[in-house]
Amino acid sequence: MSKVLLGSLSDIPPGQAKGFDPNQTGKDTFFVVRQGNQLFAYTDICPHYGNTTLPWKRHHYLDSASDHIVCAAHGALFEIDSGTCVQGPCLGQKLLKIPIEVSSHSEMWISLETLEEFNL
Amino acid sequence: MNIIGPDKLVFGVDDVDACKQFALDYGLKDAGDNHYVALDGTGIEILAKDDASLPAPLQSGSMLRKTIYGVADQATLDAITEELSKDRDVKTLDDGSIEATDDVGFVLGFQVTVRQPLELAAEAINAPGAEPQRGVNKIGVSKDFTPKPRSLSHVVYFVPDIEKAEAFYAERLGFVTTDRFTDTGPFMRPGGTQDHHTLFFLKTPPFMQGVEHFTFHMGGPTEVSQAGYALMEKGYQSFWGPGRHIFGSNWFWYFKSPFGCNIEYDADMDLHDENWEPREAQPGADNSQVFLLKATEKWAPGGPGEKPLPR
Ligand code: FES
Repeated sequence: MSKVLLGSLSDIPPGQAKGFDPNQTGKDTFFVVRQGNQLFAYTDICPHYGNTTLPWKRHHYLDSASDHIVCAAHGALFEIDSGTCVQGPCLGQKLLKIPIEVSSHSEMWISLETLEEFNL
Repeated sequence: MNIIGPDKLVFGVDDVDACKQFALDYGLKDAGDNHYVALDGTGIEILAKDDASLPAPLQSGSMLRKTIYGVADQATLDAITEELSKDRDVKTLDDGSIEATDDVGFVLGFQVTVRQPLELAAEAINAPGAEPQRGVNKIGVSKDFTPKPRSLSHVVYFVPDIEKAEAFYAERLGFVTTDRFTDTGPFMRPGGTQDHHTLFFLKTPPFMQGVEHFTFHMGGPTEVSQAGYALMEKGYQSFWGPGRHIFGSNWFWYFKSPFGCNIEYDADMDLHDENWEPREAQPGADNSQVFLLKATEKWAPGGPGEKPLPR
C-alpha cells in the first residue's frame, strides 16, 4: 500500500493540531490533533456550511484550553475524539474522520487510498 | 427614535490575546481598557468569557454578549427607556447608558453616541468621460498606505424567530426594513442613519442563535482589498470574498476570527430614505453578490518565489 509521510509525532506537541495540504491546493485539506500520544485526523471542512475550512489562522484548530476543536467562522465546538459538534451551528453533526497511521518509529503516515477517497 | 447605529459590540472571548491581536491586525486602534476602535470612536470591547461584568451568554455560547447602540441625545435615551420599560427591565448603568434585552434574547445597550464626525475623503477614481476625481499628479495607491476602519457598520445575527425580531426592532425601536431575503431575514436600518443596513437577521434553529458577522466601513473598494490582503499576509484566513453585494451594494471581504464569528471589511454602501421601496429576493449566492473574487493564499512550499510559510 503506497503511503505518504506526514512527519514525526514530535511535529505536533500534545494538545495541539496541525493542518496538511498534501496536494498543495493552497489551503489545508485535513488536520491532525494530538492528545497525549493519540492522534485524531479529520478533513478540514466544517459541517455547518460543508465547504468552509475551520481555523482563523493556519493550524489554529483548538480552543485555548485544547478541550475542543473549533470552527472559527461561527464558533462551533467539536469533541476531539469523536468529531461530534457539541455546541454551535452544526450541533450533533460530525467532522469527517480519516485514518492515519503512526509507525513504531513515531512517524505519521497516510495512505494514498485515503488521500484519494477523501479528496485530500 | 433617533438611533444612529451600533457604537460598540462587547465580546466575552475564549482567547483574549488572540482576539486583541486580531483587532490590531484588522486595523482597529487600542483605546485602552480593552477597547479597540475605528477612526470615529466606534468599536469593540474584548473581555474574557468569564468576566463578571458581562451579561450572561446566549445558550449557543456565542461570544457576542452585548450590542450597544449610539443614539443622538439624552432625550432619545429617555424615550427608549420609557418605551422598553413598559414590558421589561431597563437597567441604567454607571456610565449613564441603559441595558435591556430584545424580544429574542440579545442584550442591548443604548448610549448617547460616542461616534465622532469624520472629515475624510472617500476613495477617488478617474474615469474617461467623467471629471477626474483625483486629478493630475495625484497617486491612487501605495504599498505603504495602511487603510483604517472608519466606522462600525453592521452586525448580523442568527435568529430563530425573525418575525418576532423584526417586529421588536421596527415597532419598539423604529428600525425600517430596507430589503429582505425571503424567509431568511430583513436588512434593517435605524432612524438616525441612511445606511442600507446596520442590522441583518439570518433565520436559524434555536441552538444556533448568535452572531454571524460584524463589520466596519472602509474608505472604498481599494481599502477593502488592501486591508484584506494585508490580513491574509499576516496568516488570517479568508471566509468569503472579496466581492460586491447586491442588497446594499457594499464591497465585502469576510475573515474567520478567534471571536467565534466572521469579521468583514465593507465599503460604499447604498443610502436610503423614506422614498425607498423595499425589495425582496430569494436568498442564496446568486442574489447576494454581483461578483466574487475568491482569495486563496498559496502557502505550499516548493514553487519559485514562494514566500515562507505563515505561522
Ligand atoms: S462554518 Fe463552521 S461554524 Fe459555521
